Amino acid sequence: MSSKSNEEKMDRRSLIKAGIVTGTGILLASVIKDQPSAAQNTLGVNIPPIKELPKNIADDDFTRMQKELLKALGKEESENHWIMVLDQRKCIGCVSCTVACKAENALPPGVVYRPVIEREIGKYPNVRKSFLPRPCMHCENPPCVSVCPVKATYKRPDGIVSINYERCIGCRYCLNACPYGARQFDWGEYYTENTPEIQPYEKVANYEYGKGRVRGKGDSPVGNARKCHFCLHRIKRGILPACVTTCMGRATYFGDLNDKKSLVHELVGTPRVMRLKEELGTKPSVYYLV
Amino acid sequence: MLRKAYYSILVILSLVGVWATFTRLSEGLKVSGLTTYSSWGMWVVFYIFFIGLSAGSFLLSTMVYVFNMKQFEKIGKVALLSAFFSLMAGLVFILIDLGHPARFWHTLVYRQANSVLSWEIQLYLLYLLLIVAELWLLLREQLSKLAKATEGFKSIFYKTLALGYSIPNEQKVLEEQRAKGAKWLKTLGIIGIPTAIGVHGGTGSIFGVVAAKHYWNSGLTPIIFLVSALVSGAALMLLIYAFMGPDNQEKKSLLNQLSSLLILFISVDLLLVASEFLVGLYSTIPDAKEPLLNIAAGPQWYIFWLGQIGLGAVVPILLLVNKNKTALTSGLAGISVIIGIVAVRWNLIIPAYTSPHLEGLNNAYIDPRLVYEYIPSSIEWLSSIGLIGLFMLAFSAACILLPVFKNEEVELDHERQSKGLSTSF
Repeated sequence: MSSKSNEEKMDRRSLIKAGIVTGTGILLASVIKDQPSAAQNTLGVNIPPIKELPKNIADDDFTRMQKELLKALGKEESENHWIMVLDQRKCIGCVSCTVACKAENALPPGVVYRPVIEREIGKYPNVRKSFLPRPCMHCENPPCVSVCPVKATYKRPDGIVSINYERCIGCRYCLNACPYGARQFDWGEYYTENTPEIQPYEKVANYEYGKGRVRGKGDSPVGNARKCHFCLHRIKRGILPACVTTCMGRATYFGDLNDKKSLVHELVGTPRVMRLKEELGTKPSVYYLV
Repeated sequence: MLRKAYYSILVILSLVGVWATFTRLSEGLKVSGLTTYSSWGMWVVFYIFFIGLSAGSFLLSTMVYVFNMKQFEKIGKVALLSAFFSLMAGLVFILIDLGHPARFWHTLVYRQANSVLSWEIQLYLLYLLLIVAELWLLLREQLSKLAKATEGFKSIFYKTLALGYSIPNEQKVLEEQRAKGAKWLKTLGIIGIPTAIGVHGGTGSIFGVVAAKHYWNSGLTPIIFLVSALVSGAALMLLIYAFMGPDNQEKKSLLNQLSSLLILFISVDLLLVASEFLVGLYSTIPDAKEPLLNIAAGPQWYIFWLGQIGLGAVVPILLLVNKNKTALTSGLAGISVIIGIVAVRWNLIIPAYTSPHLEGLNNAYIDPRLVYEYIPSSIEWLSSIGLIGLFMLAFSAACILLPVFKNEEVELDHERQSKGLSTSF
């Protein structure tokens, strides 16, 4: 009896499997056909990338960045140099970028990719607050990359410093080497730990680096170094990073520095520009407008 | 009676250590008190402590097998044995510090030429092989004798350790083998010196190269690591020989010589510490000044003043310069120094995490794992103390089971050398 039902189950299972395989195949084929050439193969999620924007869209900085992103994706990966520009005069310290990043990447307790540092400048009556969001700097000379004993962290041709979660051994040397405190570690904690039940929202997959991973004991990314990746999984599909789309003051800009006509290229050419800890020679890809 | 108490305590500690380590491995790093901004803690402190102890012991052993300093011959084998067990302890401590201990083999497969840590791991293995080879060459004769003299399980144990070596029947062949062995020992020792220096100086470089941490980023860091390794190695030898060495006339003179050596190493270490503090405190740069001020006058001032300076330098020197010292006082001085070196290692790591990467980052996001302070968790304490107990137990057992305090064949060889006879046939 039981063996027969097992067989039946097996049959059904293999049928479903076959169905999934064909389905995925068709989906993949269509995605690959649609994709701009450079966006292929780096990421595995089968969401078709955005090809063009709807008409009648407001003509502002945001639309411009979005258009430039799609244009830049048409180039070879090695011809991109993704940078972020943060306008401190526009930043109001609402911390919604921090929250958007937490939500986008399903970040657990103790892990924050983009905190906003708040400082008070001056003395009464000449006093004001200054806000400094601090994502990963995606340095051109990243100190975290050279110290990694297993080459688990590396600089992509497009300038993004990435982590191979499956290779990382969790030694935390990179956390020590980063001058900006941008490297984080997944300690394996949950917000709803020590409650009757770990809530489902903590068990959803994050899609960092284009692979769906549900956090579990001993499984990557638990026990790994983690960091901001400029929402690589989004930009490869033609979507701006979560912190950029969510920024209500439009203080966060993102784009390809190699595109001389881009908005970020313009901004980096203003006298207000500065980078953090230039004296270390790390050459950050995150610029601040002060 | 004392011996029985010693072993019972070690057995209890070992059991606690195994349990705590198991809990750590099954639960993950969340059982630690480590934080993202203070990302290395007690386990790394003991990792560098034991690697230093190993390198120190090994370098002392080379005085016998490379530089022919006969007076230290009695401790040659035990020095190598402690180098072996210390290295193993160090490697276990760094293993349990990893987020993914099961992926340790990645370090051997995916190598990275720019990473000091990557090179260090290769070097540890080379160094391990050297120690094991030296130990085998030194002990094989005694082991094969013991294998013949004992029965059953013990015999198999000694046979396995001797790797099947048996003493040849002909005296001439034996002499030949001994001469060859002595030559090999010297060669391995010569290779071993740069290796041991690389092992511990390199471990210091892991920290020395980190430009992000002003406190570590100094050419002095690897040197401080090395000198304090020699301090701990000499102290361990003093301690072991005082308590476990055979009681005879030579004992006193050997202990005296070890004491002078230890005082010399401590003095050099103090000089380096003084230099580091004088240069650092003179600076007005907060990154340079604050960690040092924190060490000397922060909330944990006692680790520096009582541990590093008190137990590590003042107490042992006072004990050792005493003319009427006994084996017991020498041994106590050794223990004192070793505890002092643990304090040195603590102060090499933990104070680097006192000031935030960027002004205000400490208050940017409130989370218990995003702070610049470190309080070791109970699992960290229990696993550390327990593992130390476990390795002390293993080492003590090895000292009893293995003929490390017998020196027949090597002595013969040295007699031969001192009489100017050729050692090769």
